[in-house]
Amino acid sequence: MTEYQISLAGLHARNESTIQATQDWERSRINEAALKASFEKDCSSLVALQRSVGVEYVTDGQLTLAWQDFFRPISSGFEGLEPGPMVRWFNTNTFFYKPIVKGEISSDGRALSKAVERRAIDRGGAAKVILPDPLTFAELAEDRHYRSKEKLLFAYADALREELGSLASSGVKYVQFSSPSLVYRLGQKPLSSAGLKQLGEAVRAALKGIHVRSGFHTIFGDAAPYLPSLVDVIPTDDLGFDLTETDDSSLPGSGKGLIAGIVDSRTTYLEDPASLAGRVEGIADRTGAKTITLSPSADLRFVPRVSADKKLELLGRLREKVKGGAAKGRRSN
Amino acid sequence: MAISDDDIELAKVWGDRLGVDGRADLYRLLAKRYAFSDEEKKRIVDFSLLYAIRMLETAGAGLAEEPGLDLVWSGEQARTEMYETPVSSIEGFEFVGKVRSFDNKYWRMASIRSPPKYRQNYHLDELLFTMENSDRKVKVPVTDAITIMAWSDNNYYTGKWAKQTNLSASKRSYSARREFTLELAAIIRRVIRELIEKGVQEVQIDIPAATQYQTRDDIKLVTESFNETTKGLDATFSVHSCFPPSTGYGILFPDLMEMKKCERFSFEYGNRDTFERGLDPKARAGFEDLKLFKEYGFKRQLGVGVVHIHTDTLPSVEVVRDRVLYSAKVTGLPPENLYVNPDCGLRTRRPEVAQKMLDLVVAGAEQARRKAA
Repeated sequence: MTEYQISLAGLHARNESTIQATQDWERSRINEAALKASFEKDCSSLVALQRSVGVEYVTDGQLTLAWQDFFRPISSGFEGLEPGPMVRWFNTNTFFYKPIVKGEISSDGRALSKAVERRAIDRGGAAKVILPDPLTFAELAEDRHYRSKEKLLFAYADALREELGSLASSGVKYVQFSSPSLVYRLGQKPLSSAGLKQLGEAVRAALKGIHVRSGFHTIFGDAAPYLPSLVDVIPTDDLGFDLTETDDSSLPGSGKGLIAGIVDSRTTYLEDPASLAGRVEGIADRTGAKTITLSPSADLRFVPRVSADKKLELLGRLREKVKGGAAKGRRSN
Repeated sequence: MAISDDDIELAKVWGDRLGVDGRADLYRLLAKRYAFSDEEKKRIVDFSLLYAIRMLETAGAGLAEEPGLDLVWSGEQARTEMYETPVSSIEGFEFVGKVRSFDNKYWRMASIRSPPKYRQNYHLDELLFTMENSDRKVKVPVTDAITIMAWSDNNYYTGKWAKQTNLSASKRSYSARREFTLELAAIIRRVIRELIEKGVQEVQIDIPAATQYQTRDDIKLVTESFNETTKGLDATFSVHSCFPPSTGYGILFPDLMEMKKCERFSFEYGNRDTFERGLDPKARAGFEDLKLFKEYGFKRQLGVGVVHIHTDTLPSVEVVRDRVLYSAKVTGLPPENLYVNPDCGLRTRRPEVAQKMLDLVVAGAEQARRKAA
């Protein structure tokens, strides 16, 4: 019997009020306190929506000024790093400042805690944070210090462990690593099996001694070249797939939880819940996964907030459908 | 929103500094502060075009012997921005909300809900105004089909191709992008043809999204879209793009070379460069991609972006000079084939920073010319 959960997969779109507040703040029309209040309100509304949809592990949608891009609290908050030139974020019209590695990477364990909007999450239930996985960091950073991808992977993982320790102590229950770089191999071959093992070890190092549930979500690309070995190599409780890129039929059976990125986060086009439910039931049958987390394919920051919220609500309707389908199946058996 | 004292002061400072003709009329108009008629709004916008033209014509004054840019435009002042203006003038779109591009920068995303159709020429008025108000050669920038497709929510075509369940998910998605792009290219071709008929000789096809979708098919589509857009048109065409993924512009090659009507490629390089002087690859790390043009035997013109436009931190004029000289060195192109420009548009900068950037472009180019002579 599969348990169905729901989760967000990354940065969420800011609402129109927060957008206006950030623009007013940049023009010195409002002060920082007013800007912060706007973010808090925005975050609270997202948390409330997650609660109403029945999300198990609630995120703050990374709706704080700290998350100007997916690396920013890291590139600005970790020792040895600084934000560099502006670069396109994979195949999106969003951009990030490339982390420049200028020295030994370390962390006092407080950089990410400061970036997370805990008050709002605490009102929503178990908290989840979403972070760049070690491979994505190592491939997108400009390494002027270690001159070794392996060293960089583990230096980042070690610094992350400090942060995760603080986050777990403060009550965070779930950590998701997002890994576009593993599956979006622009001009590169898939990662070798040795490289994959190394990534698994880096993830293990980041999570060592940290008592939280964990997930590893592959976004923006087809994970099939790594299946089924990814299941054994990545030491997280859940493994995630962008199902706009990875065919359902590629998904392996495993004892891990499965994050099904089934709702397309890149368009406002709302999928038909019945058709999605059919796919999810097929995935459940094929993989035998005990837990399937219904999720957007990636962050919901690539569409306006109204649409992002509709996609989250769609996940709620989808769960009702698949639960109903499973109940019907049980009755007919 | 009403006009503030600060707005009026800013208009006066820059009107006086740039010597804008008839600026006293603008000051009188602004003093009304709110409840402007449509005619008054149009006059204010016309003044903003004039301010931009004068800023480009006088860039580098006091720093260079020959101030001003060779190719001028009215700074896209008549446009909301490069995406929203065309999308507002093409049938089939519906605005759905703002999406964040980076930091606190957003674009107002439109969703395509039915096949796009030409409604009106959205650049004609600004072209006529610019030609009337500048003696310099005018270059009109036009947002291309790839960019409009990539920045839009592809709702209609995604839904249409979702029914093709015999195709893979990625093939369906690509097919939706291609069909949308080529429909747009035909509309943009008509817009440009009408501009050419009014006398413009130089058209810049803006493709900031050239490197957004990165499959081989998508890269080929960038070229196909350009060729479709310029098919049967007679003008000097250039292509501008910026902010590629971390792998750089290499993904566009060799397909880019198939843009047969493109006389000049103008890309952003300053963003990724160091602030150190020098003509060595380490100091000029941001310009490495220029080698690709030499590698592929490109003999036409290049525009090199020498100033990063998303920061107020400016390089020295000597660094800009070295960026120009290095560009000539690695491409092997004669100096007259190099155009020097900021990385991209300056709309995110305050006027004084924008002017300093333009000054650097003009003065850096002149110093490079002297050094090379």
